[in-house]
Amino acid sequence: MVKKFTENLSSLCDAFEMFKASGRSLSVAYENDRLTEIRQGESSGMSIRAVKGGKIGFSYSSKPDEVDTVASAAIRMAPYGKPYNFSFAPKQKSAHTRPYDGRCGEVSVEKLVGLGLAVKDAIKSIAPEAMAECSFSGGVSQSRIETSTGQDCSEQESSFGYFVAAKVTEEGNFLSTYRYRSSNGLVGEDEIIEEAREAARDFVVARKQAPVKAGRYRVLFSPGALSDILMPIAVSINGLNIEKKTSRWVNSLGERLFDERVTLLDDPFHEDGPGGGLYDGEGVCTRRRAIIEKGVLQGFCHTLSTAKACGHEPTGNARRAVSTVPQPGLHNLVMAGGSATREQLLIQAEGGLYIDQMLGTFTSNFLAGQVSGNISLGYAVQGGQRIGRVKNCALNVNTFDLLKSHIVAISAEREWVGGQYLPWVLVEDVAVSAR
Amino acid sequence: MKTIDRETTLTSRAALDSRNLKSLLTGLVQKAGADYAEIRLEDSTETALSFMGQNLENVSESHLYGGNVRVLVNGCWGFVTFNSLNELDARVREAAQNARAAARLSKDKSVLAPIEPVVDTVRLELLADPRQVAIEDKIALFGGYNDRILRRPGVTSSALRYFDRYTRLYYANSDGTWLDRELMDMGFGASAIATRNGITARGTTSQGGRNNFNVFRNLEHDIDEAATDAVENVGAPVVKGGTYTVICDPHLAGVFVHEAFGHLSEGDNIADDPRMQEVLRLGRKFGEGYLNIYDTGLDVGLRGHLKYDDEGVPTQRTDLIKDGVLVGRLHSRETAGRMNEKPTGNARAISYRFPPIPRMRNTCIGNGPHGKLEDLIKDVKEGVYALDSAGGQTNGELFTFTAGKAFMIRNGKLAERVRDVTIGGNVFDTLRNITGIAGDYHVRDGSGGCGKGGQMPLPVSHGSPHIRIKDVVIGGK
Repeated sequence: MVKKFTENLSSLCDAFEMFKASGRSLSVAYENDRLTEIRQGESSGMSIRAVKGGKIGFSYSSKPDEVDTVASAAIRMAPYGKPYNFSFAPKQKSAHTRPYDGRCGEVSVEKLVGLGLAVKDAIKSIAPEAMAECSFSGGVSQSRIETSTGQDCSEQESSFGYFVAAKVTEEGNFLSTYRYRSSNGLVGEDEIIEEAREAARDFVVARKQAPVKAGRYRVLFSPGALSDILMPIAVSINGLNIEKKTSRWVNSLGERLFDERVTLLDDPFHEDGPGGGLYDGEGVCTRRRAIIEKGVLQGFCHTLSTAKACGHEPTGNARRAVSTVPQPGLHNLVMAGGSATREQLLIQAEGGLYIDQMLGTFTSNFLAGQVSGNISLGYAVQGGQRIGRVKNCALNVNTFDLLKSHIVAISAEREWVGGQYLPWVLVEDVAVSAR
Repeated sequence: MKTIDRETTLTSRAALDSRNLKSLLTGLVQKAGADYAEIRLEDSTETALSFMGQNLENVSESHLYGGNVRVLVNGCWGFVTFNSLNELDARVREAAQNARAAARLSKDKSVLAPIEPVVDTVRLELLADPRQVAIEDKIALFGGYNDRILRRPGVTSSALRYFDRYTRLYYANSDGTWLDRELMDMGFGASAIATRNGITARGTTSQGGRNNFNVFRNLEHDIDEAATDAVENVGAPVVKGGTYTVICDPHLAGVFVHEAFGHLSEGDNIADDPRMQEVLRLGRKFGEGYLNIYDTGLDVGLRGHLKYDDEGVPTQRTDLIKDGVLVGRLHSRETAGRMNEKPTGNARAISYRFPPIPRMRNTCIGNGPHGKLEDLIKDVKEGVYALDSAGGQTNGELFTFTAGKAFMIRNGKLAERVRDVTIGGNVFDTLRNITGIAGDYHVRDGSGGCGKGGQMPLPVSHGSPHIRIKDVVIGGK
């Protein structure tokens, strides 16, 4: 049936790419100690990029039986679209494998509701005054990409994620300490409960407030805060910004840009990584490769289109939902660890700050390297300990400078933050504004 | 079996007939075996185009079709989404089963505030219908703006996006509400990008609305200003970090009130948290007597305009702060029920994939007594005039947002341009620190939207006059 349709589509346009995806998921959420949501979903969708007269049209539908409508809309849009000056993915097969855990699609309401109750108990046992907030979701999905240029690849994915938080909202102190993780396999209840306890222990420390004055500090960034600090790098290697020459690194491949302790890989096959895949959103085989190696810029993130426009080899970095056109993006960003322990970094951060959460940094001018925002969860450090939360202070750093000449040490331990596996990084001479 | 036959015929779009659906959906919610049940069906078509630099990067037509069932059994919710009307009664059963399973384990019980059921049909009343504008004409219009940006010396690239989305929404609940609604939503955003000596800066403009495609015409002046902003921002120094008196233009002040107070007022933050109820107790003074904040669904034409929310509750103007004092909050039926207050028509879902939760519509600071911009500036020795918004975020108590452009104020006069102005602060202190509100209320829509609980971008509006805030922390070098 599908073959007949694609043959028919071939006769109606010059080239095409068809992307189909379907999945099912279950999620449960607790807010302010109470169960607020049980959401079960099935989803499906298909999209087509069709080429007619040398230009590309795009159409998407969430309705499973609407292939003809989608195809004719894509063809109808094509005369107005972007020039087709690259080729859709040719036939290729990934030599890699990726974990798939079917149990993610079998999680039950009872299990997730029960997990929420256990998390609530774990948080209250350490921080009785905290309110618990948590959510869990599990699901499985399938996708298939067919192109008129010979590619026909399918992939199935499993996912499980959790978020656990201890929070309080009281006069002069809104506080939420949290832990979260996305994985490609079911995460054990023990890990989740331990992470809930960890969030509760953070809560107990952060409940105390510590004074902070404007000034220049040593700052220890947690993996969560480091993720914000790395945004200018992710944006500057994005193929669209290379193609449009809005990145300052257009001609910097092979240049030493950072401290030699900075190594960043894109690893689509990482066994624990939630963001990977054997094929990217255009059906191109993905690769594990260096972005920054020992401080030297090694690679960009490209779709087929941006690679062609820049005269580079495709990198397999097209990211997309079925409803959107491909955009360049990272799969799992993995930063190399250093040699220090977290405890050693805390000792070295004496008199400085430990920053765990930033607020609103996404509005920063990343292309200029700037990351600024409120420090929504930061601690003062004394005697190798976090002694209390610092409030009403903001950070404005330039990542390009910070990771070039301000790094003191990097931890050996690393942690997943969404699709990024990052260490703790201690930097010095960071300007902090405070009221 | 009869029901199943009927559902099968409904999978064809041609058969999406309002009368059939009404009897099907109202029948299903009545026999769902739940204390409360609702079904939402959604059928939307979106046309979108985007330019990046000289390229028309994407032109597309997308079709979102699906629905959900939400039931309340023994105080617990079950929510199931679907893409096909096949076996709709099975989806209703699943939602009820999930709710029952949860109710066996959980002691938490939800209640819904009562409402008068409504039966209504809402048709579009458009001043200019985007569906009547040929795609070629849209490309010519927005492509013309894109060319205009790129022609400006010093501009290195551009990004421009336009969409229009027509949605047909059907909604039935077991209280007897039946709504057959049409909605239109349109948005446009343009960025001029300038890169010099490794520094990149932007200038932006936007428009949007629900009822008039003509708001996108004759924007040459705004486009030119965005190009000027990009070129001048890239050459401007980064603002010196510190504590300043800041004057926000109506657009940025609108983002501020949305981020800083709108989110705080959403009932789901408050309903189950006694300490938060104490912080946000009605009657508490939050600002000077000239501070008025409200959220309204009644402003026809704005992206925040809605006749009904996604629980079938008629929208209204909801005063949040009146004469400096807290007087209200934004409720769904559930949060109103739990707090024994009245629903305000703020339950919104971004699509059938999500349940409705308390969200904003058009959130505003009302006009104040302090004249115009010049009147607010004249007493400021050293400060920052911040305009437009590159976005913002809040955690309830703290907020951060970035201005699209900014100028220093020196000795009561506008002075040099500065860039990368990110304003952070404490919501409560900042409201108290509003020392001036002009009388020049203005609202302008854009192409973005509000994000909460994974639901983004929800069409909202925000408006304000110019406001002056003292002791604002600005991150900088």
